[in-house]
Amino acid sequence: MTGGGKDIGGRRGLGSYFRLLGAFGRFSLNRELAFRGNFLMKVLLEVVWLGILLLFFHTIFRNTSRIEGWNEYQYLFFLGCYYALEGLIETLFLENCVEFGELVRTGNLDFFLLKPIDEQFLVSFRHIDWSTAPKVVIGGALMGVGLWELGEPVTAGRIAGFVVALLSGMALAYSFLLILASTAIWMVRNQSLMELWWLFSSLMRYPRDIYEEPWAVMIQKVFTFLLPALLVVSVPAEAMVRVLDSAILAWTVFAGLMMLGVSRWVFRRAIRSYRSASS
Amino acid sequence: MSSVEPPLIASPGFMGSLRKYLRIFRVSLVERLAYRADFLLGTVLRFLPLVTSVLLWSAVYRGSGNDTIEGYTCRQVIAYLLLVHVSRMFSSMPGLASGIARDIREGTVKRYLVQPLDLQAHLLAYRAAHKFAYIVTSALPYGLLFWLMGGYFDWPREPWIWAAWLASLILGFFLGFLMEFVLGLLGFWFLEISSFLYLVNTVSFFLSGHLMPLDLFGGRMAMVLKELPFQYLAYFPATVILGRETPGAVMNGLLVEIAWCLVFLVVGRVALRLGLRRFSAFGG
Repeated sequence: MTGGGKDIGGRRGLGSYFRLLGAFGRFSLNRELAFRGNFLMKVLLEVVWLGILLLFFHTIFRNTSRIEGWNEYQYLFFLGCYYALEGLIETLFLENCVEFGELVRTGNLDFFLLKPIDEQFLVSFRHIDWSTAPKVVIGGALMGVGLWELGEPVTAGRIAGFVVALLSGMALAYSFLLILASTAIWMVRNQSLMELWWLFSSLMRYPRDIYEEPWAVMIQKVFTFLLPALLVVSVPAEAMVRVLDSAILAWTVFAGLMMLGVSRWVFRRAIRSYRSASS
Repeated sequence: MSSVEPPLIASPGFMGSLRKYLRIFRVSLVERLAYRADFLLGTVLRFLPLVTSVLLWSAVYRGSGNDTIEGYTCRQVIAYLLLVHVSRMFSSMPGLASGIARDIREGTVKRYLVQPLDLQAHLLAYRAAHKFAYIVTSALPYGLLFWLMGGYFDWPREPWIWAAWLASLILGFFLGFLMEFVLGLLGFWFLEISSFLYLVNTVSFFLSGHLMPLDLFGGRMAMVLKELPFQYLAYFPATVILGRETPGAVMNGLLVEIAWCLVFLVVGRVALRLGLRRFSAFGG
């Protein structure tokens, strides 16, 4: 069943994937705007969260000038980067991956497997959660303010490093989510997915330099090389406002590509062992 | 359960009522203990972000070059962040308000009009059981954690501090319950309150001092935050056991907390009565 779907999907050009993505986006936006009050409430919630985050940040820097070498505006850039990246993940993938477990449980996954398009694409991008999209804009604005206040010239090399690292970071986070979602096929009920994702994102929240303490070095190593959660936000932010270190950049890109491959492999394994819910 | 109810209807009395709710407590306790593995895993997972907090605050103190910030040493902040977990263990009421709102929306709340059960007392007994089970099962992982991180704590020797801590935690449970209960009753007046509840929870997370000791916000902000009832859900019990408060301040805090409990109890009772009247007017 999956093989057939793949073959037909394989013959489609990249263009049709983009067209489909556009259609998903439009459809989700329409659905979202049908419940405008709820939509506004969700956006308000994000703004409140941001307020708390900024207050936390402000309070800390009222009492210190540096956190492991990050000064206030470098850290503000980091915060914006974290916020934007989390927004991207939530807008594009999070809801889809959480719903995947439900598709498995109800057997509705059948309909997805029959569609003449790559299953992973369909499962990953089906809903665009527009209510978290403002986070990307706000995160971008925070990064802008940080850069402005730092006042250092932004070179093309830094921008390139930032973009590449950001894409790799997204790939890492997406892969992790997809692997977690795939486990739903074997476990049917995966309520811990959100908790594990929360754990993963809590590792992204602060610069990786804070793990320099002797007792935490092991944690730093594990989450840099084995399960590279620490790279997701730190490396793009470092590339832009701190040191542009090509070694860690290369590793981040490599890890991102590798995790994409691994997550695709896990997803396909999972689909292959999927038995529908009817019998 | 139904076998014990007829005599209770005949002569409710105080003891009879108490026995009824104790039984609800027991049934709920058994139900809760059916998912032991689930909450062991949940508790362990909740610890891991603590590691990042410890690292962050260590970095903040190293960067500041000071030993104390607003009177807190680094060890105290870290101890505080662990202790608020204990506070929240007592005071958090996941799903209480949304459950009440759902019962109202779907009409199942009508059974409290028919059965000799009080909505608030029933939910209180139910919650108490769940909290009891939760606290007992998390005692082991938490004990382990506090032992592992023992270096961050200077446990007080004075027995009165321990007694006051326990009192503040138990009062925190009641205050958390009574506040959430009032929120849930909003369901009588508004059809859909889930996003609103989410918003309140987020704000409360901040106002209660779960993020960092309220004193660190400094100046007027800290002063305002310490006038609000939210602080009793996380901040107050933690500062009591940290030994930061004088006996007078602790006593005062406990009394104010009791007053807040009474306020929310009265608001809850009035809102429940008004709400049920409104509800029965619409129900068919």
